[in-house]
This record gives sequence, C-alpha cells and structure tokens, in this order.
Amino acid sequence: MTNHWIDIQHADVIMCIGSNPAENHPISFHWVEKAMDNGGKLISVDPRYTRTSSKSDIYAQLRPGTDIAFIGGLINYALQNNSIHSEYVVNYTNAAFLVDEKFAFNDGLFSGYDRGNTSYDNSSWAYQMGKDGLPIRDNSLEHPQSVYQLLKRQYARYTAEKVCEITGTAIQDYLNVARTFCSTGRVGKAATIMYAMGTTQHTVGTQNVRSYSILQLLLGNIGIAGGGINALRGESNVQGSTDYALLFDSLPGYLKCPTYDNRDLAAYNDKWTPKTKDPKSANWWSNTPKYITSLLKAYWGDAATVENDFCYDYLPKRSGNYSFLKLMERLQGGGFEGLVLMGTNPIVGGPDVRSIALGLDNLNWMVAADLWETETSVFWKRPGVDPGKIDTEVFLLPAASSVEKSGSISNSGRWAQWRYKAVDPPGDAEGDAFIVDQWVKQLKKLYAKEGVFPDPIVDLAWDYGDGHEPDIDMVARECNGQFTRDIEIDGKTFKQGQQVPSFASLKADGSTLCGNWIYCGSYPEEGNMMQRRGTEDPGGMGSYHEWAWSWPVNRRIVYNRASVDLNGRPWNPQKPVISWNAITRKWDGDVPDGAWPPMSEDGSRSPFIMNAEGIARLFAAGLADGPVPEHYEPMESPMANLMSNQQSNPALDRPGRVDKSGLYYIATTCRVSEHWQSGTMTRNLPWLVELVPDMFVEMSEGLAKEKGINDGEMVTIISKRGSIQARALVTSRLKPFRVGDKLVEQIALPWHFGFNGPAKGDSANVLTEAIGDPNTHIPEYKAFMCNIKKGGLTA
Amino acid sequence: MSSNRDFSRDGTFLIDLTKCTGCRACQVACKQWNQLPAEHTEFFSGEGYQNPSAMSEYTYTRIKFRDYQKNGQHEFAFYKEMCMHCNEPACASVCPVGAFEKTKEGPVFYKDNRCIGCRFCMIACPFGVPKYEWSKALPLVRKCTGCLERVREGLHPACATTCPTAITYGPRDEMIELGKKRLFKNPERYVQKAYGYTEAGGTSVIYLTALPFEELGFKQVTKRALPEYTWEALRLVPGIFLTVGGGLSGLAWITHRRERLREELEKERAALAAEEEKEGRE
Repeated sequence: MTNHWIDIQHADVIMCIGSNPAENHPISFHWVEKAMDNGGKLISVDPRYTRTSSKSDIYAQLRPGTDIAFIGGLINYALQNNSIHSEYVVNYTNAAFLVDEKFAFNDGLFSGYDRGNTSYDNSSWAYQMGKDGLPIRDNSLEHPQSVYQLLKRQYARYTAEKVCEITGTAIQDYLNVARTFCSTGRVGKAATIMYAMGTTQHTVGTQNVRSYSILQLLLGNIGIAGGGINALRGESNVQGSTDYALLFDSLPGYLKCPTYDNRDLAAYNDKWTPKTKDPKSANWWSNTPKYITSLLKAYWGDAATVENDFCYDYLPKRSGNYSFLKLMERLQGGGFEGLVLMGTNPIVGGPDVRSIALGLDNLNWMVAADLWETETSVFWKRPGVDPGKIDTEVFLLPAASSVEKSGSISNSGRWAQWRYKAVDPPGDAEGDAFIVDQWVKQLKKLYAKEGVFPDPIVDLAWDYGDGHEPDIDMVARECNGQFTRDIEIDGKTFKQGQQVPSFASLKADGSTLCGNWIYCGSYPEEGNMMQRRGTEDPGGMGSYHEWAWSWPVNRRIVYNRASVDLNGRPWNPQKPVISWNAITRKWDGDVPDGAWPPMSEDGSRSPFIMNAEGIARLFAAGLADGPVPEHYEPMESPMANLMSNQQSNPALDRPGRVDKSGLYYIATTCRVSEHWQSGTMTRNLPWLVELVPDMFVEMSEGLAKEKGINDGEMVTIISKRGSIQARALVTSRLKPFRVGDKLVEQIALPWHFGFNGPAKGDSANVLTEAIGDPNTHIPEYKAFMCNIKKGGLTA
Repeated sequence: MSSNRDFSRDGTFLIDLTKCTGCRACQVACKQWNQLPAEHTEFFSGEGYQNPSAMSEYTYTRIKFRDYQKNGQHEFAFYKEMCMHCNEPACASVCPVGAFEKTKEGPVFYKDNRCIGCRFCMIACPFGVPKYEWSKALPLVRKCTGCLERVREGLHPACATTCPTAITYGPRDEMIELGKKRLFKNPERYVQKAYGYTEAGGTSVIYLTALPFEELGFKQVTKRALPEYTWEALRLVPGIFLTVGGGLSGLAWITHRRERLREELEKERAALAAEEEKEGRE
C-alpha cells in the first residue's frame, strides 16, 4: 500500500475493485466502515454482488477481465470534464514531458512491436531529451506529443457507452461511479483504490494496476491522507515475503536479481542503477551500489572484500523467467530432481493443477514443510492414480504456526509488527528458521569436504547463536544492518558492530552490512522498533508512529511530498500528512519522503523519489506490454475485443480465443471469509468446516433455471483443462453479462478445496489455465470460460 | 407486576447489522469460549452461506443470511440470532424450579443443577432461544450464557470481543444512547427504530438495521414483558381462590349442615322411639 489500513478512514470515496475486503479482510474492513461513518462513499466494482457490495453505496457489475476498459473510461471522464488536479499533474507527474516523435499507437499495438517474438522494442517510447540531458517539457500540456495529450487521445476512445458495452455495466451505474470517484479531483477531497487478486490475476494484471496509478495521479490522490493505491495483501506476511525477495527477480529490498550478463559488481551497478541529470530528482535508486554491497557483506561477512568484488561471483545469476508458471512447466518436462515446498500447496493453488500433479510424479524427492498434510505432500495419493507407479520420496516436516515462533510480520500497510512466541510447537514441529538453519549447517559440513563450487556455502556468514533455533533478534539485527568497522559519518563516530541508524548511513565500500535496506532503522541501537506498542497519535491522523515500525524509516504514507503544494502547505489542511514549518525548517507530521525543503525553495527535490525522473509516471516505458494500459480480452473470452483487433495481450507467447460456441460461460475464482487459500489450515478446523463444509459454485437464478439445476444440487463444471463437481448455490447476487446482443452467464468458484483432509472437495484450479501476465507472470485465475452440466462427475 | 429493578447499567450488546459482514467470527468465538463441538453440516442451510440449520445445544448464536432482490436492488444481509437476555425474562418467570436468573450484571443465566428438563422455558420464550439436549439421556436446556464469567472478570462476551465491526458492549443506557446517535447521524442508512429497546419489555440485546426487521428474520414480539401476560392471569388466583373457594366452602357447609341437622333429627327420632318402646314394655 502507498498508504495504510488506518488511513483509509480519511477517504471521501473508496473504490474496491478486484477486491472484496469485507470478505477477506473482515477486521481491517472496520476502517472502511469508519470512513463511511465520516460521510465517505463506498463503491464496489465486482462481477458478483459480494459481502463488500452489501455494504457499498454504489455497486457496479464488471465482467471479469475488463478492468482497464472500466478505469480507462474513468480516466477519460476525468480528462473530458477537467476533474483533474492541474497543479499536481503539471508539477508531480510526467504529464508535461514530450514523448519521442516515433511513438505511435495503432489498432491495439504500440510502436516497436515484433509479432515474431511477441515483444516490444521500446526505444520509441522514450522521452524527448533536451541538450541539458533533461526531458523536454511543455507545462501548458498542449503539445500534441506531451504525455498529457497522448493520454487524452488514448482514452478518448473509452467513452462511457463503449466501456459499458465491454464491461457489461449498466450505464447509469457507471456514470454514478464516474461522477462520485472523479469528484475527488477537487483539491481537499481524497479517494483511495483498494485492490487485490481480482486486479492482479489476469494476463493484463500489471496494466490493471497502472490504470489505477494514472487515474489517481490525475486526481491528485497519491501521497495524501485517505488517498493512494492500496493493495490488500492476501497473507498475513506476504508483504514481508516480497520485501525479503520471495520473487525470483528480486533481492531483499526489491533490488534487482542479477542476470547472467551482469558479469561483475560494476556491470551490475551500471545496469541497474538509474541515472538522471535532473538536480531536482532525488533518484533514490541511485543508492543501489550501497545497498547491494551491504547485502553482500551481510551474506558473506568477512569473506566479502573490495578485492573479490564483495563475493559478487557467489550470487546466482538468473538467465530467464523462473516464475511459478515456468517452474511448473519445467517440472512437467522432468526438469527437477527435487522440490522443496515451504507452506505452499501448488496442487490446489496453482493453475491447471492436473498438469502440475503430473509434473510432481516426475520428482525423485520432495520436501514439504507445513502445519498439516497438504494435498501436494500426498500428491501420490490423489484420486485416480496408483501410488505404486510413483517413485518420489516425500519428506513431510511438521512446521510451527505463527504463535509458536517469534519474528516480525509485515502487513499490507508496510507495518512490521513483532510477534512473540506464545507456546512451544507441538510434537516434532519446528519453526521455518530452525529448518533453514539446519539445512545451512548440514550443507556447510558437506561442502567443507567436497563439491564442485563449495565457496558460496562455506564462506556464507551464518551465526545466529547457539540455541536450538536461530536467535531471531540476531537475524533482525543483521537485516537492519551493522557497521563492519569503526567509522565516522558527518562528524558522528560509529563503532564496529553497532546497528546502522538508517539507510542514509549505508555505504558501498564494505563498511556496512545490511540484510535488507528497506528495514534499515527497524532495529537500531535503541532496540527493536517493531516491538513497540505506543498508542500516542498527536497529529490525530491515525499514524501511531510509536506503534511498531513501517518501512521505509517509519514513514506511514509514501510519496507524501505530493500531499503539499510547492510551498509545502498541505493541499488539505484539515487532513495534513506533512506540512512545512518555516520556523524550525523541518516538516511536521509524518516522516517526510525526504527532509528537503518545499519545491519553491532551493535544494528541494521532487516527490516521487523512487523514479529517476523524480516525478510520477503517467506514461511508463519500462513494462513489457505498453507504456499506458490498453484493454485486451482475457485468454478465454466470450467476445471479440471491441477496442481493437488485438484480441489479447500482445506480449503473451500465444493468442487468446473467443468462444463462439455459446456453450461456455464466464468463470472466475473467489474466496470466502470462512476459508483461507488452499484450505490446508481451515479445512482442518471443525468450527470453520461447520460453516462452509463443501465445495460449491455460485450461479444466477437464470442459469439454474436454464439448466434445470436446483439449489444444493451437484453439478459438473468443465473447462479445457478438466472437470470438477460442486454443489450449486443459486443466487440473485450473480447476474449474466450483456455481451453484444446476447446475455452471457457467469459462475464463481471458491478455490479453497482439495482432495485431502477432513473436509474434501474438488479444486477450482483444475479448470484454470497456466498463462499469466507478461511482467509478473501471475496466472490468469480470474477470467476463463466453463461449461456446466446438471449432475456430478459420476452422473 | 413490573420490576422495580434498574436495568440501565446492565451489560448490553448493541448489534449494528449495517456493519455486520456475516463473517461468523462470533459463532466461532462462542464455540471456542464454551468449548462447543462443531455440528455436522452439508452445503448450506438457508440463504447465503448460513450454517448450521438452527441454534441448538451445540450452537448458542448463529448468523442468519438473507440473499434476495427487492425492487431490482440486491439485498445481502446478516442477522445475529442469540439469547436476548430480556429485562424480564419469560423463561425465568415460567421455570418451576428457578433455574434461570436475571443477574445483576445483565445476562440471564441458566443454572443446570436446578433444571428438571420440563421445557416450559422453551415454550415460553418468544424468541425460541433455549434449546434441548436431545442427544443426552438426561437432557438439560442450553442457551447463551451472556459470558457471565467473562463479564464478572471485567471482560466483554466472546462474540462482542471478536467482532471487528458490528457489536459494541456496555451498560444498557450507554448502548441505547449510542444507538440513538447512529440513527440520528445517518438516518438514510437505518430503519429509524432499534429492536430490543422495548421488545418483550426491553432486552439486553439491541439491534440496528437497514432492512425492516421482519425482512431480516426478526420475530414480531409484544412490547410488554412476557411475565406481565402470565401475571394478568396469575394475579387473579388469590381472589378466585378466596371467592370461589370460599363460596364453595360456604355452600358445602350449608349443605353439610342440612345433612347434619337431618341426621340429628333422625337420631332424636330414633332415640325417642327407643324410649317409647322401653316405656311400653314396663
């Protein structure tokens, strides 16, 4: 999130699109209700009328996969009606920048497209640069090649009528949403967008989020209280996981994972450190060399020296796409001997699980660490296979739950909150830290004797005490960072071994080590900031700066320098985030996104410090599928793309399909409050099973009538990947979509069920397709096509 | 008969159903606190995701779902059914062995060591709350305890503690004030009436809703305290006892007196006859 949970209470308008927080974040939903108590309006945009919709002021039905059309129309509405925050747009975004004359958009494709390898050469997407090395600007926003005018032309095509033809929304509902949301373009009004998997789990997922950015920037809603783009994370510590480089293409703190062509540290730094000539741009990623060096020092300690490039050679270099989809593909080709699964259940959670299961059959060995026996850990016992024919050796390591170990959990709002160990894990169960620690210790012993390239393991700095399990405080202290030698910075002396106070003190010369630069400051000499539970809130904005610690540097709202005008005065003095105090020459309020003075003074910096340009990108050239979002249909769709002849995302390796048979219905996956993820925990808890015991499929009354299906009856759902059975839940909350001159029905499937455990059911992901977004590779779980038949699988 | 007791400080639930998301954390928290087993369920039992099919000896509170359309608008709403902890509970009034007590803290508490399993309470309760232990050979009655043990320790009931949005717990007069404030602040959001303020003579569970009460599944219940109805009849008993009983006793005395007099007359005649006979023989 750019903002945080408690801040949501300050919103005048909240749009939940691609999310269902009343369902899946029922506790935090309290803050949405608080906003509504304060007069805020809740808009729910969803294919179904959900628990969130039941609390909303405005509900707009949306066909799965048409979010860009929906938001594109809102962008158009804001631009046409001039509901934008002009001063913010001119000064804080790249609206005024001119784009290369060769940039073009034609029939769904941007300039530079190579149909052969389905990818873009983005050189024509560059800014026009002046002789001073800075992008050329037209602050009047009238130049035809300005980003602003490009945006206007792009989204002029998204009229309300066209949009509603695509999304299936009733036009009066759509205009109601547009009026309400875009009213926050007015200075002093704030809207926030809350999104989740309904946004990201599409082949256009990244561009979905980009569309929110553009809309919110035009309305001046980023960096202000009650504003922002708020991603609702789906697991209690997935934020922490991605912060700590769970994803294949990053290193801790979202540093880039080196690729095979980054031959040495200098080449890595050259490739990945952005450069700018703009003196007003802080270009914070220019600190990359400090962060990567400090990380290498954390990994390899004293073995990492200037002479050996700080052991840069020890870092694995990736040569391609190692996303989950690619791993499962390689698994099916017999490309892995073994697989380690830590708290994950791909045979229920992945797309096209039949294929994944066949891939698992190829493994020589598998290690699964979990609280309960997951479906994946007993993949060899799944219905329809003969265990005798599967040669995999499976090790099941019982794992400790979150109350049985201590450590930090980072929530959607970037708040790292420390948890203490309340009870010992039962039986032989151990925490993940113990498990990983044992592996490292055993590997070190083995590699001390032999191995092709033992150095990276043998030299790994690994000392977290002599206890049964690693001392988590020692780990946290290393992630914060320490000085590796006595040093003086700005007149202050630090001793070797002292905690680094903030990432401003990290160095590229090996004098600091730091396990994760964005957590630098979480555990200074004063102690563990993440453990704090202070409830003071002197500003009254719900920041609670003494409660736990948020990255970066305990800032609660990021990009908050955009919450003030050029003189440092809050756009909304009633709800200030930061405000310039001319007497102290400091910012009052939240931790400012840089202590520099306001932009009207010398020595200032622009607000969007993580971009090389210093300002926010309405036009963003760095993505695989385009600099601005364009509507494409999902891979399986009931209709041809009405915006262009480019049916699906052009950066995918295969084209999408239109179902013309009329046999198929629009399908999406969803969740319920009562179960969680693949159900490995919740389907083992009787009180939750009592509430939702069986796999079910939601369908409209019309579809049920058409097929002669009664509520509660078993039905079969069929896709190109396979078939499952489920009980039919017939409800008026689902309605068919207008697609051209027809009505196309939809169904919704919770994905919590699997073949193992006390409460069993077929997995929705038998039906989904293994194809994903070209930037993130997240699978398209949210939009596909299915057929429905009365009766179960054996019928 | 009306109570002289002051209910204003009784622990009371304010349940704002416009804030309820039907998550069922309350159902689970109740089961966890009371260590109640899960019931066997299949699919759902009612509209939406409703489960189990009714409150029972194993389920002291339950969210009822409504999932329908009204005037072309979607309605997806939730109602928490539970013991209303009435100010003047009918269950306590009819119980022949005094197994129910309206405690001074507010909850209507059931004492199972007194219960004889007669089930009068089940018939008397207008909300259908007490449930019978059909599963047991020596069945008792079960219902929400109002978490009296927790309340006495300064805690809130389990469901109120867990609920992140809809339930507030506090003294009855404060909950009524809070309810009124909400009805006033956002009038378009609420039915302008709280349920439980006067129902059954007033209860310790007060609901605010957006939908009309009957649509959500609330029962239409008299405003009078239920014991007042039985009092209507019972209060006549001494009078009837005295007048009818006295009258009949009087009638009986008169009838018996006649009998007695006749008997005495008979005896006198018999004695006289005997004496005459004795005199004749001499």
